[in-house]
Amino acid sequence: MPSDHIIKSYDEELTRLQNTLIAMGGLAEAQLASAIQAVVKRDSELAAEVVEGDVRVDQLEKEVEALVVRLLALRQPMARDLREIISALKIGADLERICDYSANVAKRSIALNQAPVVKPAFALPRMARLAQLLIKDVLDAYVHRDAEKAMRVWLGDEELDELYTSLFRELLTYMMEDPRSITAGTHLLFMAKNIERIGDHATNIAETIYFLINGTPLKETRPKRDRSSSSVVLAGPNGIISNESEPQ
Amino acid sequence: MTQQSVPMRPLEIRMPETSHDPAIDGVPEALSDKIEIRNLRFYYKKYEALKNINMKLHDKRVTAFIGPSGCGKSTMLRCLNRMYDLYPEQRATGEIIVDGRDILDPKIDLNLLRAKIGMVFQKPTPFPMSIFDNIAFGIRLYEKLPHSELMDRVESALRRAALWTEVKDKLKQSGLGLSGGQQQRLCIARAIAVKPEILLLDEPCSALDPISTQKVEELIAELKSDYCIIMVTHSMQQAARSSDYTAFMYLGELIEFSDTETVFTNPANKRTEDYITGRFG
Repeated sequence: MPSDHIIKSYDEELTRLQNTLIAMGGLAEAQLASAIQAVVKRDSELAAEVVEGDVRVDQLEKEVEALVVRLLALRQPMARDLREIISALKIGADLERICDYSANVAKRSIALNQAPVVKPAFALPRMARLAQLLIKDVLDAYVHRDAEKAMRVWLGDEELDELYTSLFRELLTYMMEDPRSITAGTHLLFMAKNIERIGDHATNIAETIYFLINGTPLKETRPKRDRSSSSVVLAGPNGIISNESEPQ
Repeated sequence: MTQQSVPMRPLEIRMPETSHDPAIDGVPEALSDKIEIRNLRFYYKKYEALKNINMKLHDKRVTAFIGPSGCGKSTMLRCLNRMYDLYPEQRATGEIIVDGRDILDPKIDLNLLRAKIGMVFQKPTPFPMSIFDNIAFGIRLYEKLPHSELMDRVESALRRAALWTEVKDKLKQSGLGLSGGQQQRLCIARAIAVKPEILLLDEPCSALDPISTQKVEELIAELKSDYCIIMVTHSMQQAARSSDYTAFMYLGELIEFSDTETVFTNPANKRTEDYITGRFG
């Protein structure tokens, strides 16, 4: 937490920036939770609320941007202050994207509610719960300036990637077996992809927190288990064959 | 204040490595050390104003000294050209090696030393004489030149200080008639006219308006290809913009010395960080 500048108003502006970001984070958590609730309960009204709620997040992101520009122009921040401010801008953009993905999940759930229920839909809430946990933990890591916790989020996304790959194959198989499920299956694919991307943005935030605390960017490469882009599901003479090559 | 009141050990001083030179972009160039300061201590009567300073200053680079008032940065400059010699109760111990010779050695010729190490002060200090004579005065002290050659030297110094086009038609007018920024560039021209190797700048822009400040900073950037420039500044933005290396001093000690980018983005010492981010000072 930035504190104790000789100029008190500088501290106040930094605190305001951080509080705006925390508010955005809270909203991002709530938006994803509601979007998933809308999917599980097939609640189109709730889904519509999530879509509308995205406007508020966009407003907060603009506030973060304005505060950052103001701080850069008026305070000429150095060292950790500079990292605080640059990090806020980056985290703000990631949170805004996370909310866009939640809104997209909600929007697709309205379409999904008009089609019959397909079985793989039950795996989606599991992915979402994991994504919610990643967002919650990464926001905690930000508030408490906890680089270790941020790194656990960074590594935790691997599980989300695995869940996504497995759901991807399951949905392809399901759609091949029953072409009537293609509408629902396609929407579910995109929803799963949205949630997988939410995990990626959580890892971006984790990397930003690492930079904020340590002053140097994270040099390691994150383990990725999303193999959906190399998965092939084919109808063979003896049934459906699923292959996958190692990601490049 | 006594030395005991400063609980500052252990120090984390990172010497700039020759292999990482911020002034050049990936082009390897052997940097030579123009000045090596060893175990430098300085006393005003019994008060120890510099406490065991050890550092190397690179040639053809700008090194900035920053730190709160009274931290010893101006004292450091005063040591580098033996300015303190004028005052009997001030003394320095240790060594300041310039080109292999210890300039603290009492046998050093101070006039020659000061010709080699030029200094520009916080407030412009033109002599009350013509612009031409302001520059020619120092040259005449060391060399007897025919007028045409003297003229060339004056022109060259004024050009080098980016002042020639502004004053070439009024060389006979008083230097005191110039604007503050022009006066400061005149002082820089005067300092470089005697062909020094090292330039000491003591808050060279603190009395100047922003445009004049930018002109002097641009001048510093041009001059560094020929000189070892050492600058004391209260403006951290100026140190960040103009220097290749930055030394942070506090209560007479060298707290951190590293390439400027590191000092202003990710300093190693918390005191440095607190100072540059405006948390004390």
